[in-house]
Amino acid sequence: MLTNLTRRTLMKGVAATGIAGALGGQSAIAADEPLGITLVIPSPVGDVGWGHALAAGLEPVKAAYGDRVKVTVLENIAEGPDADRIMNKTVADGNKFLVAGSFGYQNGALQIARRDPSVTVLHASGFQGAPNFSPFAAKYFQGTYLLGMAAASLSKTGKLGSVAAFAIPELITSINAFTLGAQTVNPKIEVAVVWVNSWFDPAKEQEAAKALMAQGCDVIFSNAQDTPSVIAACEEAGVYAFNLNSSMKKYAAKTYLGCVATDWSPFFKASVDAHFAGSFKGANTFLGVADKVVEVVDWNPDIPADMMTKIKEIEAKIADGSFSPFTGPIIKADGSEGVAAGTALADGEIVAMDWHVKGVTTPLPK
Amino acid sequence: MNAIEFILSGMLAAATPFLLAALGELVVERAGVLNLGVEGLMAFGAVLAFIIVYHGGGHLLGFLVAGLGGAVLSLIFAFVALGFRANQVATGLAIGILGQGLSALFGKSYESLTVKGVPKFAFPWLSEIPVVGGLFIQDVVAWLSLAVTLAIWATFAYTKVGLVVRAVGENPKAAHAIGYSVILVRILAIAFGGAMAGFAGAYASVIYTPLWADGMIAGRGWIAIALVVFGTWLTGRIFLGACLFGAVSLTGLAAQATGLDVPSPLLSSLPYLVTIIVLGIISADRRLLKLNGVASLGEPFER
Repeated sequence: MLTNLTRRTLMKGVAATGIAGALGGQSAIAADEPLGITLVIPSPVGDVGWGHALAAGLEPVKAAYGDRVKVTVLENIAEGPDADRIMNKTVADGNKFLVAGSFGYQNGALQIARRDPSVTVLHASGFQGAPNFSPFAAKYFQGTYLLGMAAASLSKTGKLGSVAAFAIPELITSINAFTLGAQTVNPKIEVAVVWVNSWFDPAKEQEAAKALMAQGCDVIFSNAQDTPSVIAACEEAGVYAFNLNSSMKKYAAKTYLGCVATDWSPFFKASVDAHFAGSFKGANTFLGVADKVVEVVDWNPDIPADMMTKIKEIEAKIADGSFSPFTGPIIKADGSEGVAAGTALADGEIVAMDWHVKGVTTPLPK
Repeated sequence: MNAIEFILSGMLAAATPFLLAALGELVVERAGVLNLGVEGLMAFGAVLAFIIVYHGGGHLLGFLVAGLGGAVLSLIFAFVALGFRANQVATGLAIGILGQGLSALFGKSYESLTVKGVPKFAFPWLSEIPVVGGLFIQDVVAWLSLAVTLAIWATFAYTKVGLVVRAVGENPKAAHAIGYSVILVRILAIAFGGAMAGFAGAYASVIYTPLWADGMIAGRGWIAIALVVFGTWLTGRIFLGACLFGAVSLTGLAAQATGLDVPSPLLSSLPYLVTIIVLGIISADRRLLKLNGVASLGEPFER
């Protein structure tokens, strides 16, 4: 019985692939068959964090399309051969829309996209592309710049800190923009960074936060932690803290500074729309405030009102594209020129950033 | 508070999960059994304690249930490894994976929730000494783990129970010949080790980092097993090794926070390097190693 079912499902998958291949189009699936959307993520879907933000981004797609889509979330899938096998299986089962939610899924997901043009693949934080394969990333730095302004206005010691996972450009740009934003308020402010060299180790993250607090840092940036480890430790110590992706306000009622939230739904919705219309075109997508993907939420009421007004002004300028946090003159931590006066870094230069701005006291690991 | 105070005050708490699990494994190995499932036993204990504390059962009950859970799970190991004389390495790994799987299953709906930790207890006078005062402000479990270290050391050094456990590990046939039940002693040792691993997990999830996240033990069970070997099965050295490991890992973080120009990947691997080097140096004496090593470690007992 079970074998029969499996085999039938498999046959259906093979048949669908065959038809789609024969017609060579993306809208080849019969209209009464719902579009299978699969999200694959490396961590569990908690109440907060990266996986939660991706899963939440698919909710509006479900609401808009109802019975015409069927969303499956596969969580805790380790990067590597196991992920490749699972992604292949879900596509073979007839799911034509794949969201590969981690950098390490890149090669496996790209192979799937190349083999089957009727499949649409969205891939998080990668750099490779194909006509039916879009890498996507968020401009977190636009939000951390604003939080840097808020942090500097609240800091008494003039020392800020960041607990950060790995020294990759996405995290480096967030710290740099945070520092630059803080320097607009207090030019002498310093930012210390502790790299924990792990995507996931709550105990070590908390130790790192305490190490920063011991050095007098009184606002902490929890940079790419999926659990409230840092946020909860800061609340206990009465130190302001903020994080990325989804709000952790409930873990720090008093000292939660804000959240650089990501709402992937506009991007997911547009991609699904394009898939249905057969007009999907793979492109490198780097999304920010203007795309309504990045937004700072849950601002702490302790931030002075005049500072909040300034922050909102800058936020509006970032949204309409008239201001970029990485506008020169910017001096690197080693004293050389990072960005010349009057010029702004292009997206391509931002995603490849491998240097810290002046004011970050911890040397960048090489 | 400067970096040195930070390291001194945090060292013992950072060492406690390693210490508890390693002391448990020490007793197991001294009885001649190698249980590699510590990581999974810790994860299982961690989730049980978290669930109890989250629902208002209190930290004491949380620890008791975690210890009980660890003991029960390790008894499955005992049943297979002793009862059927299965390969201990394979069985231990399987139990470890089972523990991690169960922790993920039970913890599913508690993912990234938090609980309150416990207050710290400060020794009067001592805790007011400048710089080193922080050493004397610890939570109750960290203090208790010191007491347990002493108790285990004394048991092996001075009591008949300690001698019987060692005899069973050194020469089970002889122990059997003079009338001790090798299997029973080993079962009790395994259950004790499981309970200690459960406590270690509970400490991690409800006191040290009071939150639950799948995979939060993050390899600490393996370090505990390594500490037993590098500590050459001596209680005092295992205690030193755990403290050293805790202190050096905090040093790496503090060095970055102060802006010291040392590459952070090196700092992250420093605890492992330093622990291996120091314990390597003190165990360089081959004769001593042979003297302390457990002769029948990992060998199934057959009458």
